[in-house]
Amino acid sequence: MSSLTSAVRDLQRDLENKTNDLSKLQKDIAKNHQVRKKYTVQLGENELVLKELDLLNEDANVYKLIGPVLVKQDLAEANSNVRKRIEYISAELKRLDATVQDLEEKQNSKKDAILKLQQRIQSIQTTKGKA
Amino acid sequence: MEDTRRGTVTSLASLFPVEEAQKAANRVQDAIAEKRAELDHLLRFVADNNNLINLVHKLPEELSHEIMVPFGKAAFFPGRLIHTNEFLVLLGEGYYAERTSKQTAEILGRRGKALDSQVDSLEAMIKDLQAEANFFSQTITEAAEGLVEIREDYIEKDSHKEEIKSGPLKQHTSDLEKTEADNEEYARIVARMDELEKEELAAESGIDNEKDEQTTEDVGDISYQRPVGSKPHNSEDFHKSTPPVDQANNKSIATGSAEKHDNPDIADQLNFASLDLQSNVGEGKNAAAKKVKFVDHRKPLTHHEEKTVKATTASKSEVQHQPSQPSFNSHKAFTGSIVEHTENLKTLNGQSSSSTSSQVSGSRPSKPVSRFKMQRR
Repeated sequence: MSSLTSAVRDLQRDLENKTNDLSKLQKDIAKNHQVRKKYTVQLGENELVLKELDLLNEDANVYKLIGPVLVKQDLAEANSNVRKRIEYISAELKRLDATVQDLEEKQNSKKDAILKLQQRIQSIQTTKGKA
Repeated sequence: MEDTRRGTVTSLASLFPVEEAQKAANRVQDAIAEKRAELDHLLRFVADNNNLINLVHKLPEELSHEIMVPFGKAAFFPGRLIHTNEFLVLLGEGYYAERTSKQTAEILGRRGKALDSQVDSLEAMIKDLQAEANFFSQTITEAAEGLVEIREDYIEKDSHKEEIKSGPLKQHTSDLEKTEADNEEYARIVARMDELEKEELAAESGIDNEKDEQTTEDVGDISYQRPVGSKPHNSEDFHKSTPPVDQANNKSIATGSAEKHDNPDIADQLNFASLDLQSNVGEGKNAAAKKVKFVDHRKPLTHHEEKTVKATTASKSEVQHQPSQPSFNSHKAFTGSIVEHTENLKTLNGQSSSSTSSQVSGSRPSKPVSRFKMQRR
């Protein structure tokens, strides 16, 4: 009986650890989602800017707001900058996607492990109860 | 009508527990509220955008505007707004472009269109969420009321027939179940039954007096009601009487073989039992009349019939078959089945299930007599 109880205690400790890991994983996934959202919004905005820049004439003045300063920029330069930013954001998004996938897989496996642990604990407890 | 069908009854409350449904409904409501807030936000943007477009149109009308310029938090000083046609438009991401008012208006217009499409998608989402919420609230009320979901197998054959006779004949049909012996014959007679039924319907009104006939009619009706489909199992009890019975029934009651005995017995019983019930049933049938006579004769035989009948009808349809057969033979005695009814009526009333009767009947041994006894109990 005592061995059973100690076994149960071990299993329960194990269960606690796993649940902690799981909650951590879930938090990571949530953060990931948030960052992804931000990046997606930025990507949309940049694409809008690119569209407007394309509609501008060659001689139009473009200014960039850097801190409190409005700096005049070259149209071509502005164009290329915006394009590069778009590429960067897309790459970031892809990376985040991969991470979130990874995290989700880990989360699922943790859930399974936790379930199994719980079942074992239950079975041990029922046998203990019977005995 | 439903007697022959087997079905499952599940309470909606068990499928959708009330508390959980409530929680789900709340969640959906929250989601709806969120989306509504976003929608408000977007609509405000749209309104601002429109105001801006108007302003942008209005400003270049004058070379310069006299205005009160805000100075700090709590002061103004008079000033002039110049370069009225030059606008620094924010393109996004910290990029500004110098544009004329017309070009600015164009940019703003494009922005407005993008906003509108966002608003539309949000509204669609809200609509979906609302549909979901409606469903949840509906299930909640239904579950609270205790609505149940009933699923039944769909038995195609003769279902309409059943409906026709469902009324008074129901009781009889249960009795009929026992008349398994006629199953085979019944099948054959089913077609005939339709005709007979019509006759019965016509005769019903006229023949209240002929109780005997009624019973016979009932037999026919009862069997009629039962769906043709079930004939199956009774075979066990049946065996003995069935083969001969079937044939006998088909041909004529007069054959005087064991079958006949069954029929008349049944008929007798049916007569007794159904007399009251069947007053409405179409006694007018010619066959009924004949049956009546027959039944009288057969009374002693009924016992016989009953047993065999009962044993055979594991299913309601069988019962029907049998009675129908006798009636079908029409003119002969449908006997056997009728007898069953009386027995069945008692049992039916108590049990109200064909299965029970079938069980009763099923338990009988090969000897019809013993069955009869059992039934009597």
